[in-house]
Amino acid sequence: MYRKSPDQPVSRRRAVPRFAVRTLAVLVLLGLWQAVAMALDNPSFIPAPKAVADRLLLLSTTHDGIRGYSGSLLIEHLGVSLRRILIGSVIGVVGGLVLGVVLGTVPWIRIVAEPVVTFVRALPPLAYFSLLIIWFGIDETPKLWLLAIAALPPVAVATAAAVHGAPTDLVEAAKALGASRRQVIQDVVLPNALPEIFTGVRLAVGIAYSSVVAAETVNGVPGIGGMVRDAQRYLQTDVVVVGLLAIGISGLLIDGILRVAEKRLIPWRGRS
Amino acid sequence: MSSPPDLDRATAVHAHEVEHVYGGGRDAVTALGPLSLEVPQGSFLVIVGASGCGKSTLLRLIAGFEQPTSGTVRTGGDQPVPGKGAGIVFQQPRLFPWKSVGGNIELALRYAGVPREERARQIPELLRRVGLHDVAHRRIWQISGGQQQRVAIARALAGDNPLLLLDEPFAALDALTRERLQEDLRRVSAETGRTSVFVTHSVEEAVFLGSRVVVLTRRPGRIALDLDIPLPRTGLEPDELRALPEYAALRATVSQAVRTAAALRGK
Repeated sequence: MYRKSPDQPVSRRRAVPRFAVRTLAVLVLLGLWQAVAMALDNPSFIPAPKAVADRLLLLSTTHDGIRGYSGSLLIEHLGVSLRRILIGSVIGVVGGLVLGVVLGTVPWIRIVAEPVVTFVRALPPLAYFSLLIIWFGIDETPKLWLLAIAALPPVAVATAAAVHGAPTDLVEAAKALGASRRQVIQDVVLPNALPEIFTGVRLAVGIAYSSVVAAETVNGVPGIGGMVRDAQRYLQTDVVVVGLLAIGISGLLIDGILRVAEKRLIPWRGRS
Repeated sequence: MSSPPDLDRATAVHAHEVEHVYGGGRDAVTALGPLSLEVPQGSFLVIVGASGCGKSTLLRLIAGFEQPTSGTVRTGGDQPVPGKGAGIVFQQPRLFPWKSVGGNIELALRYAGVPREERARQIPELLRRVGLHDVAHRRIWQISGGQQQRVAIARALAGDNPLLLLDEPFAALDALTRERLQEDLRRVSAETGRTSVFVTHSVEEAVFLGSRVVVLTRRPGRIALDLDIPLPRTGLEPDELRALPEYAALRATVSQAVRTAAALRGK
């Protein structure tokens, strides 16, 4: 009996290597990248880590009178894109929530609208972007529409499923306390659906995130997707890589923020 | 609706020739009855029977969750409607995990139309009544199963309904916790004086809690025994009560009836 509580030290010992293993993996990847870049010696094909780091610095500062890329700093490109993602996601999530509640509570609307939602969900955003441009021009409007339409289905589907599958025992308990139909939805069905809705929101933000590059293929500068696309046209591979890294890392951060928000907003998740 | 003499307000629950059938056609299963029952105000009725005898169905009819296939059920003279006139405690606590302990009680008070300031005052009072202190801010999963069921009882008491319906509320608890909750429920019922209908399969529980015990036959459930329990409701410690010679005699009578009823068909 040299250890009093066998559980805690084990989980703690596992937490440290997780971080170490991840750091090590990143270092190994960087090493591989460096090796391949040196072996190929073709910066237009694979720029070395050092070249990408230098480009990152150039994109983030004003150098010789040139401000970042196409007159905007990297952080500004990213900011514009994040703003688009935020607005598009909010519209999509709110729309998805409303649609999901309706789908989950009114059976005949569910029968009519569910195939439509599934149909839209299956379309790649680039496919309907052309239509949005014809309708709304090439400025902000079609981009926000694209992101909103991309973000809506996962929230609608998750909400509809969770609302439809509200546990009868809790609904009955609320009715036994004298809850009206509206109160049952507001105080039982919706809170009960919240964990699944949140999963839908995380999925929606992820889809909006990956769609922003599509949304910025037309008149997308400033914008991180527009920047990547322009740089591709001029074979500025290091700019493309910086752009990809910026999208990926900010995406990880946003998902992390959503996870923390989820833990705070839905502390009962997995406990009922 | 005009009230016939036997439907006056002194009768908390009135069931007349009640029969309940689940399903239809060839698959129809008669779960209950025909059965007639009157529960006077202030009494603590315990319905005992083997599983599947329709005792939970009877409670759901009294709660208004189901309508009888034939016959009539009245509570306080009216047709029962869920949430009106009766607090219900289920076998599982069925608390809302997105609300704190106090939040669960608060919701019940809000549905009952209690104003906000009054709700804040009543929450600790209701929790204290079921033997809970300083738990209002706790999360549901932070308290034990026994405490959760206590909260469920407090929540059912919250509306100040004249009737309390309990469907095997202690069946899922360990023996020790069950005994303590029985003792507290007996005290609460004596304190509040409200009418209770309690469903159980435990003879011990029935005799300890009830002022009257009804034993149901096998499905379709009918009344096999209707027995008053003339034990003192207050003034005795639980152990003193259990040690009374009458207590043992009543328990033997009910136990005998349950065993006979389990072999007996309703028809």
